[in-house]
Amino acid sequence: MKDHQTGKSLIIGIASLLVFLTIWELVCRKGLIEPLFLPAPSKVLSRAVKMIDNGQLIAHTLASTRRVMVGFMVSSLVAIPFGIFLGSFGFFRAVFDPFISLLRPLPSMSWIPLSLLWLGITETQKYAIVFMGSFAPSLLYIIEATKNIDPLLIRAARNLGASRVDVMREVILPGSLPQIIAGLKVMLGIAWTCIISAELVAARQGLGFMIMNGKEYFQTDTVLLGMVMISITVLIIDVIFRRFERRLLPWTQ
Amino acid sequence: MDPVENGTKISIRKVSKIFSGKQGEVTALRELSLDVNEGEFVVIVGASGCGKTTLLNLVAGFDAPTRGRILLDGEPVTGITPECGMIFQHYALFPWKTVQANVEFGLKMKRMPRSERRNRAAKFIDMVGLNGFETTYPHHLSGGMKQRVSIARSLANNPKVMLLDEPFAALDAMTRQVLQEQLVRIYEKHRKTILFITHSIDEALLLSSRIVVMTARPGRIAQEIVNDLPYPRNADVQLSNRFMEIKRTIWESVQAEVMKSMEVETDQR
Repeated sequence: MKDHQTGKSLIIGIASLLVFLTIWELVCRKGLIEPLFLPAPSKVLSRAVKMIDNGQLIAHTLASTRRVMVGFMVSSLVAIPFGIFLGSFGFFRAVFDPFISLLRPLPSMSWIPLSLLWLGITETQKYAIVFMGSFAPSLLYIIEATKNIDPLLIRAARNLGASRVDVMREVILPGSLPQIIAGLKVMLGIAWTCIISAELVAARQGLGFMIMNGKEYFQTDTVLLGMVMISITVLIIDVIFRRFERRLLPWTQ
Repeated sequence: MDPVENGTKISIRKVSKIFSGKQGEVTALRELSLDVNEGEFVVIVGASGCGKTTLLNLVAGFDAPTRGRILLDGEPVTGITPECGMIFQHYALFPWKTVQANVEFGLKMKRMPRSERRNRAAKFIDMVGLNGFETTYPHHLSGGMKQRVSIARSLANNPKVMLLDEPFAALDAMTRQVLQEQLVRIYEKHRKTILFITHSIDEALLLSSRIVVMTARPGRIAQEIVNDLPYPRNADVQLSNRFMEIKRTIWESVQAEVMKSMEVETDQR
């Protein structure tokens, strides 16, 4: 019954998208809109075919995806243990609180000049931008998640002989994992914002570069294609992430 | 080492506990003394808010007394100790661990090898009758089953003392009875020293070898009764004159305390 419902919604969704694309196509063919401002979907599609042929589309997409993934993984791998640690010890939370509070409001964009000075237009600079953009907010999500652990479970664990380190690994980490993962999903979206803005400013590859380059050469279809590719890539990664989530959290099924 | 009578497992000596909050200080316990001997099943009965749970938390080392001291085997309790296995009213099972992993938890903390852990856990899962549920996660279990897992988890860890904080209060009457019988069987088999808290006089009569009635806040001991009813405490025992006699005695003293605590509440308003 429910599958039937979602199947139906999917069909309506696809139909709605097709109608929209048809109208857009017709409006462009009638010459109602200047192609420089908005090219027809068919033009974007033929640009896609061309760029797949010469391998550029895949190369740009993979370049951005790799940067997001490396930056995001490093940020998460540091933020998760550090966040659990800070969530468990009020003293250290107080020590680091001013730094986190000052770092968090900084948009990743504001790190671009400094990162270029320090690291140049390199891959490391791209990873650094993703890291700086997602680390402080991830850390806050994780600290917040550790606060929602039932204190009774910590007591029970201590009563069964768990040390404070055991409690972090056996209770606080798994107990806050559902919330941490929910937070990381949001952070993954932010990581994409970071990398695209970094590529728009200075890069030789990536979807952000492709969009900016398209604009320079008045290839509006390339610009649109780059935007569509960002959407599609983020959607695919989201689906993969969800699979991963189910395997990490078997008890929530 | 303090001088302790032979066989005294837990010695609570003139313990007071004062909580200070926004509305000033609340004396939860005042100069409470109680000795529990090795192999005794002591049930503490008292009205809600009399400080029963506070007392248990002090014995488990979750909290420290304001004055007085608590000795376990003659040694003062200075922090949380796995020697006192606690069973909570709301089970406190780890939702992300299967029944098996929950029962193994204490053994894992002792760094016991996996295969040994598995065998030992299997024994206690069997004891509480949960075979076949080893790989189930707690949220698929009923309340009664969860409490059985929690009892198995505690027993597997082989504590010197078991502390039970109204463990069956959230269960329906039928399940409660089954679990009470199971607990008595476990007690008869293992002869653990047990300190059990309840507000049900019937439960106290069914389980205990000694009943301690606590006063209204601040908690002290109003009365101690040796429960000499024969085990197993089946329907015949529950209908005997002796059962009724003890029940009446306890009821009178509990009732007096409940009335007192209600007066206190009225005064405060």
